[in-house]
Amino acid sequence: MKSVRDMVAVISMLVDDEPGVMQRVMGEFTRKRINVETIVVGKCEKPDKARIVLSVTDPVKAQAVIEHLRMLQEVNEAETVDESRHESYLLMMNDFGKARMTGSIEELSNVIEKSQPKKYISTVSAL
Amino acid sequence: MKGAKVVVELLERQGVEVVFGIPGGVLLPLYDELVDAKFRHILARHEQCVGHMADGYARALRKPGVCIATSGPGATNLVTGVATAFMDSSPLVAITGQVATGVLGADAFQEADSFGIMMPITKHNFRVMDPKQLPKTMIRAFKIATTGRFGPVHIDIPIDVLTSDIPEKELSKDYPIPIPKRNLSQMLDAVKILESAERPAILVGGGAIWSNSGLEIIKLAEILMAPIITTLMGKGVVPDTHPLVLGVVGMHGRQGANYVLHNCDTLLAVGTRFSDRVTGKVSDFARNTKIIHVDIDASEIGKNVKGHIGLVGDAWTVTNALIAGLQSRKIKQSEWKKRIKEIKEACTCDFDLSGEPIKPQKVIKELSRYLPDDAIVTTEVGQNQMWMAHFFEMSGTRQFITSGGLGTMGFGFPASIGAKVAKPEKAVCDVAGDGSLQMVSQEFSTAVENNIPVIVCLMNNGWLGMVKQWQKLFYEKRYMATMLGRSPDFVKLAQAYGADAIRVEKPSEIKEAIKRAVKSDVAYLIDVVIDPEEDILPMIPPGKKLTDTIYGRCCFSIKG
Repeated sequence: MKSVRDMVAVISMLVDDEPGVMQRVMGEFTRKRINVETIVVGKCEKPDKARIVLSVTDPVKAQAVIEHLRMLQEVNEAETVDESRHESYLLMMNDFGKARMTGSIEELSNVIEKSQPKKYISTVSAL
Repeated sequence: MKGAKVVVELLERQGVEVVFGIPGGVLLPLYDELVDAKFRHILARHEQCVGHMADGYARALRKPGVCIATSGPGATNLVTGVATAFMDSSPLVAITGQVATGVLGADAFQEADSFGIMMPITKHNFRVMDPKQLPKTMIRAFKIATTGRFGPVHIDIPIDVLTSDIPEKELSKDYPIPIPKRNLSQMLDAVKILESAERPAILVGGGAIWSNSGLEIIKLAEILMAPIITTLMGKGVVPDTHPLVLGVVGMHGRQGANYVLHNCDTLLAVGTRFSDRVTGKVSDFARNTKIIHVDIDASEIGKNVKGHIGLVGDAWTVTNALIAGLQSRKIKQSEWKKRIKEIKEACTCDFDLSGEPIKPQKVIKELSRYLPDDAIVTTEVGQNQMWMAHFFEMSGTRQFITSGGLGTMGFGFPASIGAKVAKPEKAVCDVAGDGSLQMVSQEFSTAVENNIPVIVCLMNNGWLGMVKQWQKLFYEKRYMATMLGRSPDFVKLAQAYGADAIRVEKPSEIKEAIKRAVKSDVAYLIDVVIDPEEDILPMIPPGKKLTDTIYGRCCFSIKG
């Protein structure tokens, strides 16, 4: 099992909030043969815009795909985000119930390792 | 104003003079408005050719070509045309009809997810779900197609959007799109490297054609005393007659050009993406060469060839900036200058071959001689294309139009129709193979019906020649599915469509046929029966090095 700790590159995008944008963005990753580890998409402070934050394991490839993302008409901004601005989110479940946590990628992957939850999902966001 | 009227109105406002299209059920409202449109509509016979015609038109004029196809099969047929334009950065606005928004997604009759299908093969694409967005979409489509790196833009319009009312004020609004930024921060480094280069060379690609920077490239080459080599897509941006121009590089390129590509110490690459057909095995490419990569598209820098200096901007602007930077500096490399002269001389071997059956090189030689100096030539894909790339002389203001990136057989003939529509005063000649032509031969109808007198010079060898050549060279002559066993009588075929045609079986007849074809006021087919055993050589086998070249008749004696 690959832990979230191994993730090394986080890309943040400001995009137009329109149907088809995710397909177009993900298409770039498919064509460049990059597996996306986590995705967070949501509304943001700007009207009719959304943010996409995703993480990949290969910083070199991440850097290469950024120029391609910037070429997309619906992508207004695309940048890699340094580690100090990462924020990891964890939702997990075991026999006692549900728990949710935020923290650094490092912290949350430690939690996962120690508590060995029955089910969990973990993702990375950044601003 | 009705949606369909909005489309027509905005096409007119964009200065569109001609659209290529085929109607269909969901396009009926649009075609009803086209009756009163100010521009010309050319009805093709297959949607693939609609795309290629608009593409040929766009390449001949360097302005967007417009094509229209219906939903479902119309859109899927158009895919090849759009993908061809995408790979060669040609500005196309492709409009497809779509089933009504109410049934979209319900597998309605003639429904296909053309929005999804077109996405990876367009610069950008739209599906207009809200009628109010139609004007914005149309206006932005033209801007996107022609801003920065050119490319095709697709607009999918459901039939109910074409019939709904749209407030007229939406048409006169401005809809800006972001302009890609130039990045010339490494300009000084580039100038320093070029200045101190001992063996500089300039590699020119299609980008220089789109930004029309041939004169500037020559000026820069003369300052640097650097030879100019071109990619297939860059062919014709500089005249082959100039002493510094060494012709096309790559797998089937001129050996002089390939020698320079692999032996220069500094390579200024302008508007090219280092395709595998140019570099050969990319890990072995230019290991000891300093590369300065000029491209309008920032994502091209470092994509195929890594770790060099990048200048982001259009070829014309950056070349002029380099000229300004280098003009006052002292450039000295007399030895290299002498070497270029030797290379150019060593690479002008005689290919005026006589004998029967006719050798393809002879046909190209005669085309070089007898086509006008401002002719537009298009090619299909395969041996015919490579013979043209290698042997055809670009003199005067000739234009060379070919499907380089996607390599689409059947491109040349419809593209020649589009080019002739764009520039009716010029002779337009498609150099075809018998395999390619049979993919699109129905377009003789379009050419004859619309009075578009293009020339088709058919290199008829009865084979899918390029694949046959590879089977011969790399698969022990185990020919499979490459012989075209039963082809039609092409002369009769052309005549059946109302075109004029002649068969040529002797080398001495080629000249007269070309002269007649140029004068013809109806589409003209020259069916040249050529030697099926003649290959396109020299050739660098795929993934191999320059030293592995198969020379054939090529007598270039300066070996890498």
